[in-house]
Amino acid sequence: MLKYVLKRIGLAIVTAFIILSLSFILIKSLPYSKPLGTNDQKYSYYLKEVNLGFVVDLPNETSGYGELLFSITTDKISHYFYQRPIFDQYFSWLKNIVTRWDWGQSTYILPSNPAGPIIAQKLPASIRINILSVIVSVPLGILLGIIAALKKNTKTDHIISTTIMIFISIPSFVLITVLMIIFCYNLGWLPTQWPASSAPQIDRIKGYILPVICLSFGSVCGYARFTRAELCEVMESDYLLLARTKGLTRRQAIIRHALRNAMVPIIPSILAEFIGVLGGSMILENLYGIPGIGSLYIKAFSSQDYNVLFVDMALFTIIGLLAGVLLDISYGFIDPRIRMGAKK
Amino acid sequence: MAEFKTFDEKGNEINVKKEDFSLIVRNKKIHDVEFESKPTTFAKDAFKRFCKNKSSVVGAIIIGILIVLSIFVPIISPHDIKTPSPDIIRLPGKLFNAGSGFWDGTQKIKHVVYDVDSEAPAEYKKNAVIKILNSETTTVNAANKYANGGVLLIVNNQDRNTAIKYFHNFYTIDINQNDNYKLNVSLSDQDGLNGNKLGEYRVLLTFDDKSIELKGWSRDYSDFEIDLSKVLKDNDLVRVSARIRFELGPEYNEDGSIRLSYIGINHATITSSNTSESVINNLKEVSITDANETILCFKDDNGMFPRGYWQGTVSKELYGATITYVDFIYDWYEAKLGMTTKVIGKTTLDDYIKLKYCEYDYSIGASSFKVLNAKKCPITEVLDQKNNSKDDIYTITVTVENYKYKGYTHMPRFLFGTDANGYDMVKLCFNGLRTSLVLSLCASAVCFIFGLCWGSISGYFGGNVDLFMERFCDILGGIPWIVMMTLAIFYLGQNIVTFGLALCLTGWMGTAARTRTQFYRFKGREYILASRTLGSSDARLIFKHILPNAMGTIITSSVLMIPSTIFSEATLTYLNLLSLDTTTFGTILANNKSELSSHPILILFPAAIISLIMISFNLFGNGLRDAFNPSLKGSE
Repeated sequence: MLKYVLKRIGLAIVTAFIILSLSFILIKSLPYSKPLGTNDQKYSYYLKEVNLGFVVDLPNETSGYGELLFSITTDKISHYFYQRPIFDQYFSWLKNIVTRWDWGQSTYILPSNPAGPIIAQKLPASIRINILSVIVSVPLGILLGIIAALKKNTKTDHIISTTIMIFISIPSFVLITVLMIIFCYNLGWLPTQWPASSAPQIDRIKGYILPVICLSFGSVCGYARFTRAELCEVMESDYLLLARTKGLTRRQAIIRHALRNAMVPIIPSILAEFIGVLGGSMILENLYGIPGIGSLYIKAFSSQDYNVLFVDMALFTIIGLLAGVLLDISYGFIDPRIRMGAKK
Repeated sequence: MAEFKTFDEKGNEINVKKEDFSLIVRNKKIHDVEFESKPTTFAKDAFKRFCKNKSSVVGAIIIGILIVLSIFVPIISPHDIKTPSPDIIRLPGKLFNAGSGFWDGTQKIKHVVYDVDSEAPAEYKKNAVIKILNSETTTVNAANKYANGGVLLIVNNQDRNTAIKYFHNFYTIDINQNDNYKLNVSLSDQDGLNGNKLGEYRVLLTFDDKSIELKGWSRDYSDFEIDLSKVLKDNDLVRVSARIRFELGPEYNEDGSIRLSYIGINHATITSSNTSESVINNLKEVSITDANETILCFKDDNGMFPRGYWQGTVSKELYGATITYVDFIYDWYEAKLGMTTKVIGKTTLDDYIKLKYCEYDYSIGASSFKVLNAKKCPITEVLDQKNNSKDDIYTITVTVENYKYKGYTHMPRFLFGTDANGYDMVKLCFNGLRTSLVLSLCASAVCFIFGLCWGSISGYFGGNVDLFMERFCDILGGIPWIVMMTLAIFYLGQNIVTFGLALCLTGWMGTAARTRTQFYRFKGREYILASRTLGSSDARLIFKHILPNAMGTIITSSVLMIPSTIFSEATLTYLNLLSLDTTTFGTILANNKSELSSHPILILFPAAIISLIMISFNLFGNGLRDAFNPSLKGSE
């Protein structure tokens, strides 16, 4: 088991390394995103870039390095800044991360500040909303799924299944928009934007309601559908028939045998979702103005702040891979018979 | 064995001999008889089972309807969605006739000031107001363009040096003995604005440097009438050019200090028996008939002296003017596309004359206008004509029926209203849907074909080839789609074709994975082995034996690629990560995002269509999956 876990983690690390390296090279090959600000600020920014190993500082103009990024004369010494070759930058980048955990600096969002802490600042808001929504949606989804499965092919089941189908199909941004129109603009019950941190406590609590509802809708439907399918399958299995013939009541059979087995594939997906919460919801954060990493991503994208964008990308990639690994491993823990990806 | 013994139901013995038997078919060999019923194929069976699933059929029908609409609506609809028309922006949806109360292009507008002069709510057109629901009259204590009545307050403020304040009409009036001039004054005895005591006042008739006291110092606020002609007669004056002057004395507190005092004039009118127009106009100018109006005239700072101009050394205020607020139903179509005053150039009018819609003579002007074809001519009346220079440049002010002016023969009906550019939402949406569908179909086709090839190779050959190809997919699939899209947008730019290509970068992997699984499933089967033993080539095995079996499952699971492409595009555009120059669903939604609070229908309608598309595709896809799933065969 340990060997399997280690292998999976190792593979994930290798994949992450390759993806990040590729993304880094691709992003660095784009035209250089220059910082804003006064000449002094720019100068200090480029000096830091030189320190980080992405830019060279030459005393006079040359043509060997491509486009001139910035030039300044301080204390009678001229500085000409050029981008270093891509692969030089790549190795500097690796070195920076390994030795100093330095992911480069922001050019637009918070000029000359390290990108890592910027992301770290935005993480809590995203995590809080997502954890709340997981807490709400998991029990609700599983409950709905169980009800639908136990009353299979009755009116209750049809209503639940149809509702789930519809809500799974509606794009999340449509759902968010419609909920915003109804509850924020027409009824005025909830704030139309994410309340600022200076807002009164009651407003800030109200501010959580809409995002949590929006995020929960999708996962409630997902869990309900998943649970219903699993439970329906288990309910028709032979061992449940045996349990009933043995003399167990329907309730006993369901709680002791059916539910336990049906939970096998559901619990790993919950675990994976807990990792997924770090990713936040880009759409929701953008529409509701939540200062999380999703809205940061869009801001970094539109202002072409590549370093911040890249750290955000890295975060999304790692979260995705980690969730996958966790999913596979937890299958094995919960049901030792299952070895995902094992040979025949 | 030559004989059988057996018993009938009554127990009697029956002997059966060999001769009792005869062969039915002696000369023929027995073959399997062909089925009389037609054999069903896999596809037919799947179709039958698909039809049983009612929700999937409904889904399929809705998809069909939407596709047909997206093809024909942009062709048939006459509305313009290329050039913005600012005068028909944000119209509400209209299906029924205005005034029917539902979906009729009207809007209930609440609490708008009523303009008595134009007999319509202020800033709204009278002919477009369908019904005034209720009106509410309130009083205001400040002059307002739309208020009327009220009391003109003359305030003597605290100034000891010029304790007596006066207030008189700016234009003098000619008064004579004969024409029976009378001054009617109505004063307010109410406490007024701030509850201070009313002051002492007198009324004078002033001319040159002299003045005649019409009413002496008094605190009597009841109405009075003064016969000015008689006053002249009493003072031996035949004719004077005079002013009426109200004087307000100071009021003292108990400690001797001056305090605020005032009188309130309801109206002060001068009448005469002379009915010549100039006299009437002059009298109108100096009479205070409407306190609100008089105050407004003071506020005219254009340097002109408007009607009813009064001045003095007092401060003038107003209280108790009435103003009416109304709730009403407003027909936006009539307002924006009905009768409108427009300024047009000569060329426009010349076009209509050429088409024989109307007649017009520039040398005569407005009066020469004559409508010839009332059905088609947008202009109903020429109001004014201006000849800017001698170069034949005319600006003509006309009343037009705006919908005819815009080229419609009837008043148009925009089912779901118009957006901020004046585009018809229905046409815009279906136009966007068409683009989105074409895009997603193309992208899905490319992904499907590539995925099929990749999966076939990977699944059929297995081994190291499979291992390598799978690792490649792992890495590519490990990149979150948003990261992939970001990189693609940076590199390929923002237009619809490159976006389609970007979608294909990762889109094929689902199909590839499914194809690979199917190949693994079928390639070990006995019939493949048999075919291989008979010397079939790889190509024959793949295309003749494996693919046809796997196709149903692969296609079904790839159907959902179409809605997911529409969804990806809409999401990216809605988030402003992508800005396409073509009208797609996402651009419609993104453009109307700012109207969320004011005109939610502009978001709701496209959102409803995209949701409908997603729901029906999901229903359709689920049905298809169940129909093609061999393990579910006969389970119902």
